[in-house]
Amino acid sequence: MTRPLNDLTAGGPERLTERMVGGEDEVQAVTRARGGDTEAFRFLVERHSRGVFRLAFRMTGNEHDAEDVVQETFLKAYRKLSGFEERAQFGSWVHRIAANCAYDLLRARVRHDDRLERSEGPDGDRTLAVPADEPSPERLVAGGEVRRRLRAALARMSALERSAFTLRHVEGMSIAEISRALDLDASAAKQSVFRAVRKLRQALGEQAQWGITT
Amino acid sequence: MGDHDVSHLTDEELVLHHFGETGDAAVRAHLAECDACRAALEALRRDLAAVPVPEAPERGEDYGAQVWARLRPQLTEIAPDAPVRARRRVWAPLGLAASLVLAFLLGRHWPHEKPAPTPVSAAARERILLVAVGDHLERSEMLLVELVNAGADGQPVDISTQQQYAEELVGANRLYRQTVVRAGEPGMASVLDELERLLVEVAHRPSSLTPADLADIRSRIESRGLLFRVRVIETQVREKEKESTKTAAGTNVVS
Repeated sequence: MTRPLNDLTAGGPERLTERMVGGEDEVQAVTRARGGDTEAFRFLVERHSRGVFRLAFRMTGNEHDAEDVVQETFLKAYRKLSGFEERAQFGSWVHRIAANCAYDLLRARVRHDDRLERSEGPDGDRTLAVPADEPSPERLVAGGEVRRRLRAALARMSALERSAFTLRHVEGMSIAEISRALDLDASAAKQSVFRAVRKLRQALGEQAQWGITT
Repeated sequence: MGDHDVSHLTDEELVLHHFGETGDAAVRAHLAECDACRAALEALRRDLAAVPVPEAPERGEDYGAQVWARLRPQLTEIAPDAPVRARRRVWAPLGLAASLVLAFLLGRHWPHEKPAPTPVSAAARERILLVAVGDHLERSEMLLVELVNAGADGQPVDISTQQQYAEELVGANRLYRQTVVRAGEPGMASVLDELERLLVEVAHRPSSLTPADLADIRSRIESRGLLFRVRVIETQVREKEKESTKTAAGTNVVS
């Protein structure tokens, strides 16, 4: 169910391509959709739904929330169509909106961490805040100690840290893209990634190897 | 993170280098020559490589059509760039409350929107908006004052309560900011934008702040006159609120 991320190139280009699906037909669809043509918008929704769902799932960690994010994303995109620059990639734009929606969701959910912790159990996977830790038998077998530690690390992250880290490490977005997607300045996005990495490494028991300056 | 040894790369530099965020030749040159930093970079890469990537459940070829089927009925309620009247946001309790108020009130402030049939007068809608924004500004002001005055004794301060408060204010602030932008109030939008950035920063700092950290926050608040600007727009909003209430009391205005 999960695969290791060996380096930045593992899966990165694929995900980048996912966002950059474009072409002349898409440019025309955007133009028509901006003019109120809902069929043209339908074309865009159908083309990008799966990519947006994958991003939403990676950020939120469960299907139900990811579906909410997909819905919210396209509603928001529809309302903001006139602000979209036609020369830009619609896919990249809509993925940024999705990242922002997922971040909003995570931020609201983090406030309820205590409740989420209590809900852990046979039926608790719906509300767990950690993407890779849904307690299916396969995951429990494959995950083991590393996943337990990862879960602890993610639980210690704020919504911003988790979002920024996922977008940087998993989605391959640049700090500049993250800051645009999450409506932050670049410095805040960068610091969030730093803190997330630090928490992950600490949870993995690697503090002793955490840089030279520790 | 420990004491910083200036002769080596910092943790942040290593992370940035790993993520390809720096084209700094000096960093590359240092790594070429420094065994310790190369080892640190390798350790970082090993750790991050161990982080599994959650694989999303597969969605079929017809998934886009399914999404569209759910989406289509909602699009009839909105036009591109028009405000949403009553869209649900199921995941944000605070945002939900704020968005309900705002979605309800947007019709009053958005000139292209057809007025929705409602038993509530336009004046009443405006009063609700003014009260909501006024209260939000008041709460934000209280938080800013607390932060400005914190740590007067020079000791580290636990701001976890304030952080929770800031986190809650961020969601509402974002909605109010978007609303005032749409309503064509750039001055107020600018203050809310600045306020939001500070709230996000406060919410995500460590919960225990040193006097230096507090001085940094204080400097951000004071150097840009944020507290003053929040007070000014709060006063303006309260004045409008009073006028609106007076009008409502003096006349039987019906929208």
